[in-house]
Amino acid sequence: MSSKDKIQYDVLIVGGGSGSFALAHHLVDLAAKNGTKFSMAILEKGKEFGSHIVSGAVSNLRVIEKLFPDYKTNDFPLEGICNESFFSILGNKKKWDVPNALLPKGLIKNGCAILTLSHVVYWMYNKLKEKAANNPNITIDFFPGFSAHTVIFEGDTVVGVQATEGNSGLDVDNAIYGKVTCFGDKGFISRDVIEHFKLRDNPQIWSIGVKEIWQLAPDKDYFGKVWHTLGFPLFDGSFGGSFIYGMKDNKLTIGMVISLDSENPNINPQQKLQDLKKHPWVQEMIKDGKLLRYGGAVLPEGGFYSLPKKFSVAGAILLGDALGVLDIERLSGIDKSMESGYQAAEVIHECIIANDFSESKLSSYKEKLMGTFVGKELKEGRYFRMAWQENPRLLKSYLPKIISSIDKTNPLFGFLNIGLTENPIKAIFDAIRLKYLMDGNEVGPVKYKLDYKHIVPNFKPSAEIKTNGYAKETVYSREDAVFYAKTKYHEGNKHIDEFSSDTCIKCIKTYDALDKQTPCVSDCTAEVHRIDILDNKRMHGMSLENCIQCRTCEIVCPEINLRVRPTAEGSGPDFMGL
Amino acid sequence: MISSLPNIKLFKAIITLKERVNHKGKNTRNTLEITMANIENIFVLIKQVPDQSAKAGINPDGTIDRAKAKRMLNPFDRFALQAALHTKKTYGGKVTAISMGPPAATEILLEALENGVDSTCLLSDKRLAASDTLATAYALHKVVQSLGKFDLIFCGLQTTDGDTAQVGPQIAERLGLPQTTYCEDFKIENGKVIARRVVEGGHETVKMEMPALITVANSYHPLEYKSLRGARMVQNLVRNKTELDKYIKTVTLDDVGADPAKCGLKGSPTIVARTDKVSELGGSCIIKQGLPVEQMVSEVIAGANILEFVR
Repeated sequence: MSSKDKIQYDVLIVGGGSGSFALAHHLVDLAAKNGTKFSMAILEKGKEFGSHIVSGAVSNLRVIEKLFPDYKTNDFPLEGICNESFFSILGNKKKWDVPNALLPKGLIKNGCAILTLSHVVYWMYNKLKEKAANNPNITIDFFPGFSAHTVIFEGDTVVGVQATEGNSGLDVDNAIYGKVTCFGDKGFISRDVIEHFKLRDNPQIWSIGVKEIWQLAPDKDYFGKVWHTLGFPLFDGSFGGSFIYGMKDNKLTIGMVISLDSENPNINPQQKLQDLKKHPWVQEMIKDGKLLRYGGAVLPEGGFYSLPKKFSVAGAILLGDALGVLDIERLSGIDKSMESGYQAAEVIHECIIANDFSESKLSSYKEKLMGTFVGKELKEGRYFRMAWQENPRLLKSYLPKIISSIDKTNPLFGFLNIGLTENPIKAIFDAIRLKYLMDGNEVGPVKYKLDYKHIVPNFKPSAEIKTNGYAKETVYSREDAVFYAKTKYHEGNKHIDEFSSDTCIKCIKTYDALDKQTPCVSDCTAEVHRIDILDNKRMHGMSLENCIQCRTCEIVCPEINLRVRPTAEGSGPDFMGL
Repeated sequence: MISSLPNIKLFKAIITLKERVNHKGKNTRNTLEITMANIENIFVLIKQVPDQSAKAGINPDGTIDRAKAKRMLNPFDRFALQAALHTKKTYGGKVTAISMGPPAATEILLEALENGVDSTCLLSDKRLAASDTLATAYALHKVVQSLGKFDLIFCGLQTTDGDTAQVGPQIAERLGLPQTTYCEDFKIENGKVIARRVVEGGHETVKMEMPALITVANSYHPLEYKSLRGARMVQNLVRNKTELDKYIKTVTLDDVGADPAKCGLKGSPTIVARTDKVSELGGSCIIKQGLPVEQMVSEVIAGANILEFVR
C-alpha cells in the first residue's frame, strides 16, 4: 500500500439498497451488450448488503421483471404473491373491510409480490457479483461496512465521499472518488448534497415505519393475504396506518407507518405497534405465535411536491429515497426506487460512452424518470397527502365517528352520523373534495403547507384506545424490542450529534412543565434517548448502542438540535429477514 | 486435554525493571516516545479458528468438524495484528502475517491484508493434521526460519479453540529468542524493546534485545478497522490469481525443510484421552416482557428460589 493514489472509480454508488442495485444491474447489462468498460464501487453502511434494509414490503415486480426476466427460476426470494387484498378500518373491537369498489386502485394489491426486501437486496448483490465476475470489462468493488460520512466537493461538483468519521481532514486511504456519485441512501448523506445545492423547495415529509415478523402457530395460515388498515390505534389525528401481510412458512408481517408531521408530540411508534397488536382481530392471528424480528425505518412521504428541483447535479445523481419517489397513495416505493436506478443506469451508460459526466449530460435523468410510471403515478397522487392534511376534520372528527359505529353497529351509521352531527353539506363537500384530490384532479388551491414550521404541537391527551383483554406475552416493551433488532455497535461509537446541551435542557423543561415526554424520548423506536438527572438538572442522554438508525429523533426534535450520522465499521442493527 | 510436554522454561526475558503497581494505574497508559528504530521485518502469527457464535460444525462426538464450521480470525490474534501494524506505523518495517492451516485459512490472510499487512505466508500440508502445540511450534518455527531475517514476532495470547497459550513461547524457545508474554504495551528504544506485561495484581516492565517474540495480551489496543484502500486491494487480488500469489505465499513442509516425523499426529505427544460433551441445559432462559417492572421483578424472585442458592 505504498502508492497513495486516489481511490477512483467511474461510478460510485453510496448505499446498497434496491435502487442502487437496480442501477448496478442495468448498467452492467447495458455495458455487456455494448462492450463498455467501466469500474464501479458500492458502499454500504451495514456489515452486509441488506442488513440495514427494512421495508413492508408488498411490491409490484415490474422492474424486477425488466431486470431479471428469469427471476422466477433464479431463487428470487419471494415470500408470496398477494391473492387477497383488503383495506380495513379498525374500531376498538371490530374491523370493517372497505369494499374494493370504494378504494383508489393503488390500494388493491392483488398480484403484487410480498417480499423480504433485505433478502431481495442480498440476492441482487449475489447476482451482481456473479455477473461482474463473468465480464472482464467490468470491475465492481463492494464495500459493505463502509459508510459515506462526508461528501467531497470540488467547487460545485460532487467528486466523491469520505468514509471515515470526524473532521480530521482528508484521509487518502478512506476517500473514494467517482466520476459520478449515485446517492441511494435514506437521507443520511444525500441531504448534504440537497442542502449544498438547495435542491428542495418543499421539505420532505418523513414518516416512521416499524415492523415485526411473527412466527404463527402451525394451524394459522394467512399466506398471500394483505391488509392495510386505518384507525385503531391512531386516534390522535396522526396520518398513518398499519400493514399486515401473510407470508410463507406461517410467518406474518405486522407493521405501522405513522407520519412524523403529526401534531401529537408523543407518538411512540413502537408502542403504537404494540397497541395495534392488542386489537382482538390481530390477537387472534398472533395467538401462540412467536416474535422473530423487529425493525424500523423512516420513509419519505412528501411525494411529488417534495421532489428536488434537480434529480442530478454535477457529478452526482439521486436515487430512490434520497430523491423521495415513494408514492403514499399506492403505498409503493420499492418499484419506483428500482425504476429510478434503472433510468439512472441508462443515463450513466451514455455518460460513460461519451466520457462526459457534466451536469447537462446527467440532467436528462429527471426527464427520463418523470416520463415513466414513476412520474405519472407521483403526479396522480400529488394531492393525496395534502387532501388528508389540509382538512383536519377527516381524521379527527369523521374517522372516530366511523370507528365507533364499526364497534357498535355498522359503518354506514357512522357515515349517517357524520351527516347528522356535522354540517351535512360540508361533510359531503369534504368527501367529494377528498375523492377528487386523491384522484389527482385540480379542485382549487390546496391549503396545507409542506413545512414542519406549521405543525403546532397538540398537548391535549388524545383519545385513548380501549382494549379488552389481550395476551400479555404478545406485547413487547421498547427495551425488549431492541433485542429483536439485533443491534451491535463497535467500541467508541458515537453517531448522534447533540449540538447544544443547553437547548436540550430548555426543551426538557418545557415538556416537563406540560407533563409530557420530549419527542426524542417518546418517539424513539429503540430506547436510545433518555433523561439523565445530573446535578439536579434534567439533561438529555443517549444509549447509542440501542439505536436502529431510523433517524426519527432528528426529524421530530423540536429544536433541530440532533443529527444522526451514519455509523462506522458496519455497526448497527441486523435487519436481515425484515 | 492431557499434555505431556517437555519442561520448557517459559520466560527468558531479561527483567531489568520490575515494578508491581495497583490495577488502578493501568488506565494511565504511558505515551510512547517515538525513536526511529531500525526495524525491517515484523512477523505476526495468526490462526483461523471456528466461529464460536455459530453452532454448525460440531461433530456428534463433540470434536470440531473444521471443514463445516464457520471460521474466523482468532480474536486474540487481532491484538497481535494491531501490535504489528502499530509497530510498522511507528517504527517502520514490513509486516508479514504467517498462518498454518488448511487452504481455507487464506481467508484470514486476506483479512490481514485488508488491515494493512504487506505480505502473508500460509503453511498448508496434509501431514500437519492433528498437530498439538509442540508439533505446531516446530512447524511454525521452521516457517519463520525459512522467511529470513526479522526483528519482531507478534503472537496472540492464545487461541479460542485450543486455549493453551503455549505455541508462542515454544516458538521463541525453538528460535532461541527472548520473549515477553502477556504484553499489553511496548516501545522500542535504542534497539531494545521495553514491554509492559500483565501479571497478577498489576504489571511489570521488562526490557529485551531484538529480535524477540511478544505475545500480546487482550488488554492491548483493539484492532483498528480496515481501510477502504485495503478492502479495495484485497478485492483486486481476489479477481487476479497471479497477483494474489504474490501476496499469499503458500508453503509445504518440504518447502520449509521441516521433518514430517516431528509434525502432525506423529510429532504430537499429546493424547486426547476422552472428550465429554457438556449437554445443553436449554430452556432455562425466560424473557419477561410487557409487564410493569415491579411485577416482572417479583415474578423473577418468586421463580428463582434464591434462598436455595444462599444455603
